[in-house]
Amino acid sequence: MTMRNIIEVKDFVKKYDKFTAVDNVTFEVEEGSIFAFLGPNGAGKSTTINTLCTIFDKTSGTLMIDGKDVTHEKDAVRSVIGVVFQEPTLDNKMTVLENLIMHCHFYAIPKSEANERIQFVLNLVDLLDWKKAMVSSLSGGMKRRVEIARALLHYPKVLFLDEPTTGLDPQTRAHMWEYIVKLQKEKNITIFLTTHYMEEAEICSKVAIMDAGKIVAIDTPYHLKQQYTKDKAKITTLDEQGLEVLLDMAGFNYKKKNGYYSIEVNNLPKLMDIISDQKASITDLEINKGTLNDVFLEITGKDIRK
Amino acid sequence: MDIIVALWFRNIKIFARNRVQLIFTIIMPFFFLFVFSSVFKNQNIENPVNYMLAGIVITTVFQTSLTVATSTIEDIVSGFMKEVLVSPVKRIQIAAGQLLSAATIATMQGIIILFIGYFIGLKFTSWITPFEVIVVMIVVGLVFSGLGLYIATLVKNSQTFQVVITAITMPLTFLCGAYIPLSMLPKVLQYIAYLNPMTYTTAFFRTIILEKTSLTTNRLVAEQLAFKIGNFVITPPISMVIVLIFGLVFLLLSTYVFSKVDFSRINRSKSKEGDIFS
Repeated sequence: MTMRNIIEVKDFVKKYDKFTAVDNVTFEVEEGSIFAFLGPNGAGKSTTINTLCTIFDKTSGTLMIDGKDVTHEKDAVRSVIGVVFQEPTLDNKMTVLENLIMHCHFYAIPKSEANERIQFVLNLVDLLDWKKAMVSSLSGGMKRRVEIARALLHYPKVLFLDEPTTGLDPQTRAHMWEYIVKLQKEKNITIFLTTHYMEEAEICSKVAIMDAGKIVAIDTPYHLKQQYTKDKAKITTLDEQGLEVLLDMAGFNYKKKNGYYSIEVNNLPKLMDIISDQKASITDLEINKGTLNDVFLEITGKDIRK
Repeated sequence: MDIIVALWFRNIKIFARNRVQLIFTIIMPFFFLFVFSSVFKNQNIENPVNYMLAGIVITTVFQTSLTVATSTIEDIVSGFMKEVLVSPVKRIQIAAGQLLSAATIATMQGIIILFIGYFIGLKFTSWITPFEVIVVMIVVGLVFSGLGLYIATLVKNSQTFQVVITAITMPLTFLCGAYIPLSMLPKVLQYIAYLNPMTYTTAFFRTIILEKTSLTTNRLVAEQLAFKIGNFVITPPISMVIVLIFGLVFLLLSTYVFSKVDFSRINRSKSKEGDIFS
């Protein structure tokens, strides 16, 4: 079964005065998938999200969501998207419940349904007991959960999450991801997010790596790693000389580190031959896939965490 | 309509929840009444306390409507406006909600001060007067919330906006004859006062609330309810027209600018919170 593209972006350019924030970007997002924009701060991720959400106006190109043009059919687009911005957008002077009721007004959700939907979304993010609390009294993680709940109230087809876990502690971050994955599975909502955390991008169906306003690579995390990184093997052996001879003969790049050999695996069958030859003396073996950070490093020559 | 009502109700709720602000805005006018009413005693005015009280009521309506309407900037900075902007809500609905709530809150405050003023000695002889007074307060509230919303859309930096508001309200309040009679001001300031829409608002409101509509022109000028500029006399009805035109201009201007303005620019200058986290 072929999935339909819920988001289609073609030749998108966004300039601020002379500075080009997004430089000719093209990509598609399949319906029901989790799509991530990965890149350092200032790469153009938020600009792209803000333009897709109808907040910014594009400089040129076409951006379509659910078959609707983001520039010319703003209201139609707005009613099918839910957005959680990087910075908080809750009404601090109101309670959780009042925030959600206001959202129902904004999206013209009938009064008869509003209550049921509010219960549903609050339950989803485990905040049913906090309905009456003032938003200003909630912790950062709870506020983010209220925002996610609110963004889901009108049953959007696409949920935009701009850095959904930035500023949250690791435990809350893990929880947040449980909610996100649950949503995608249960409601078949397309989730479009930006992040600069590698481990978060790993969970996504597709990752677009962005740097300096351009998409430098786009694929599944697995393929990206396969294409841009080499697997690394760690071998600990009693017969170090024997192993070195075989590795040299087969032409492997390797380094001896404290107690083990770190080997770049560019030919797996050959390495397996060496391992089976040396099986009597090998005491420990580990093969690691490259990480998305390695991918980023390989493509841009920069460490994303810098 | 539903959205306008919802936003209107939200703003009133927020205002009612802020008890300190509420009490302060009620106490302040009476403090001014106490301080300034002696100033009017030497003037050619029949009942200085009532005269002063009328000025205080209308400046309170003015200040409150202006402040509440400009508080829109807080919503923009706090991020809440962004939630509104990605929703299918029309911006004109937001503008209407903000304007109406500012006018409502301002009128409610005016009524509270009038109510207390009743015990100080402000009495009406005609039963129509209180209704006229309320209508004028609503209109004045709308007029200056238009100005307030317009200012809010012009602000580029959230840190400077408090200063801007004070810089606008102070001269408008003190150069309109509400606290200090215009005749006591130096000539230069008097001419500036003639450019101040609050001067005409105050004069017109005083004429209504003090039931002086039937006074002769000379008497009106003597009580500073009408102004003689050269040979031309600005009577209370003309004052009303001036205020209405001023209000109409700013109501249209503010709604228009509010629907067009790019709020992302303000957000960009303030997103320090994000910087701290990332």
